[in-house]
Amino acid sequence: MSSNEKTAMTTVLPAGSGTLHYSVKIYKGQHFRRNSWVSVTAFKRCTQKDLSCAMSSSICRSHGVSKSLKTQRYSFSHFPFYESWKPSRTAVNSCLEDGSTKFFDFVVIGSGVAGLRYALEVAKHGTVAVITKAEPHESNTNYAQGGVSAVLCPSDSVESHMRDTIVAGAYLCDEETVRVVCTEGPDRIRELIAMGASFDHGEDGNLHLAREGGHSHHRIVHAADMTGREIERALLEAVVNDPNISMFQHHFAIDLLTSQGGSETVCHGVDTLNTESLEVVRFISKVTLLASGGAGHIYPTTTNPPVATGDGIAMAHRAEAVISNMEFVQFHPTALADEGLPIKPEKSRENAFLVTEAVRGDGGILYNLAKERFMPLYDEREELAPRDVVARSIDDQLKKWNEKYVLLNISHKPKEQILAHFPNIAAECLKYGLDITSQPIPVVPAAHYMCGGVRAGLQGETNVSGLYVAGEVACTGLHGANRLASNSLLEALVFARRAVQPSIDHMSQSGFYVGPSSRWARPVMPSSLPSSAMDDILNVTEQMRKDLQSIMWEYVGIVRSTRRLESAEKKIHELETQWEKFLFQQGWEPTMVALEACEMRNLFCCAKLVVSSALARHESRGLHYTIDFPHVEESMRLPTIILPCSTVSTTWSSRQLHKQPV
Amino acid sequence: MAINLSRQFASLVGLSAPKLALASAGSESLARSVVGSAVRRLGSSIEQPRGNPSGELRGEAPKEIRPQQEEEEPREEGGGEEDDEEEDGQVNKETGEIGGPRGPEPTRYGDWERNGRCYDF
Repeated sequence: MSSNEKTAMTTVLPAGSGTLHYSVKIYKGQHFRRNSWVSVTAFKRCTQKDLSCAMSSSICRSHGVSKSLKTQRYSFSHFPFYESWKPSRTAVNSCLEDGSTKFFDFVVIGSGVAGLRYALEVAKHGTVAVITKAEPHESNTNYAQGGVSAVLCPSDSVESHMRDTIVAGAYLCDEETVRVVCTEGPDRIRELIAMGASFDHGEDGNLHLAREGGHSHHRIVHAADMTGREIERALLEAVVNDPNISMFQHHFAIDLLTSQGGSETVCHGVDTLNTESLEVVRFISKVTLLASGGAGHIYPTTTNPPVATGDGIAMAHRAEAVISNMEFVQFHPTALADEGLPIKPEKSRENAFLVTEAVRGDGGILYNLAKERFMPLYDEREELAPRDVVARSIDDQLKKWNEKYVLLNISHKPKEQILAHFPNIAAECLKYGLDITSQPIPVVPAAHYMCGGVRAGLQGETNVSGLYVAGEVACTGLHGANRLASNSLLEALVFARRAVQPSIDHMSQSGFYVGPSSRWARPVMPSSLPSSAMDDILNVTEQMRKDLQSIMWEYVGIVRSTRRLESAEKKIHELETQWEKFLFQQGWEPTMVALEACEMRNLFCCAKLVVSSALARHESRGLHYTIDFPHVEESMRLPTIILPCSTVSTTWSSRQLHKQPV
Repeated sequence: MAINLSRQFASLVGLSAPKLALASAGSESLARSVVGSAVRRLGSSIEQPRGNPSGELRGEAPKEIRPQQEEEEPREEGGGEEDDEEEDGQVNKETGEIGGPRGPEPTRYGDWERNGRCYDF
């Protein structure tokens, strides 16, 4: 594939070079949004002049740029297809239906903490549809069992929380964002409590605060050890009881419905697939909140539930939203490796069983399969080195020896102590024929959290008018190059809340899009395909997913290199081409939808975003480590920005369904 | 926007050098000269534990918690325990927490651990 075609896919730039066009438009004062991205050059082809111009005019103030994105009220009045709208609560229409098109003031994609928190607020001002692809509680939130961080102790301070966050983020965090989140966190917690979430208290009646790694104070609020589940429970209960909120479970979001309105992209809603009734349902909304979570399933081992296939990031990218910092993927170093168990589990684990650091803390030793203890080679702290160092070391060993897992041995400790401290691990391993009191535990790193995502301003706004983001799907600048423990639930709460007022303002100035429905081609079910073709497609897609995950783990793991990343880019492109060719050979048409196929295209999209971003960062920082640039470079202390592509994309995964070529 | 830049650097330096008093953010040249020294300090601080600077935490927590916990455990955590070990109203003697998880402090090694399984970090 020629480099021209390659760079046509996405345009990835370190913010300094790429935001030349962006910021020039901003500071001319004429446009607050970009229109079509004309001739945005890939980083490799930027001329020196371009770069120096960009440097001087913006100094990579992609932070500053997005913060200055005011929610420009887009005036619909001169468009023939919009009703004018008088803001009035009582005039709010509940869901108008037009066959399988539904109209809501607000549409929320995702039912984790960010989506539900937002829904509960905006429901006071209009009708809300919450769209979720499985059961409402199936979200990363539910699995966030540790806690939520906030400054709730008099001896703690916002500055301290900020400092811990920024240090953890390897100084790539946006300071304003960090300040806002750390400042507003405590109020968000109090609201949760008022909504019925019950957190652990101490004898003194105050919230019990734990202290997790990276925090210099006790500030983790928790509900026993299932905080996420408790928050989710409380929010869901409130949502279910709210007459203005309609929950659409088992509705998979396919693509955002967008149009070019003058100088900006505008979001009008989302197409979904009801995976139970196998029908396409179109949602038209005045405001859309994307809160669809992470993309752990681009990797073979992940702590994320199966729903986390990066749908929101992919949809947003296809809708021309700016994506940021995708190279920063957080891994946990020691998840139980099923491949190393004597009895293999019948079906692959839905989400990884993480073996706690406490095992190493209690004296557990890491070995490669040749029984060599390797941590001393990497760090004098050996097994007690920070988690990121351990993850990198394990990854390095796996790549060096071409192995699937390493071994964590605690069997040299007294049996009673092992069983007392780690009964969960003991029981789980025993199920599959492994006795951890006498044998080592097979472990492998697992993908856990995406620090990057859809670039958001301080109000959760994006460069797409009417589209807001919150939670893991967003890149707000809070996490920087690495997320501090328990900050993710906090970020979701704060940004969900902050997006409320701008959303209400936007809604009250907007009308529903009521133009011709042919404007966006409707997705169709593949009912014209013979069932044998569908079976083949499903089988091949399942295999493709595994192949993609292998490529990602092998070539875009924890320890990266330019050579491997370039290999990944090439292999992913080949795999995608192969997959799409197969689909279309079976009679698949570009506007057809099926859950597995749509997830696959989203996985391809996210994988490519991660690879592009990783290639663009010529330094190692936080979670992104590359042997070709192994040190931190001060001049690179900038977010990685991915702009929508200007040239016509050639793959099915890169284009919105309704924009496929005929 | 240049102001933003110097503000960001100014406060950045403020974090790593709290004693350094900086003029208001409008002073770009001051920020730039300060940045020079900040860069060196950032360089060295970044080479330290990244992302999870819990080395110190790991060192201290077990010493505080373990001596008491180890006494309690054999009694409380005899054979056949379930996943959830909390009891409503049970007060943790060490931390004063009511209804919290029994056994060793879940965050003693930096992550959130229950019975060996890490639930969050």
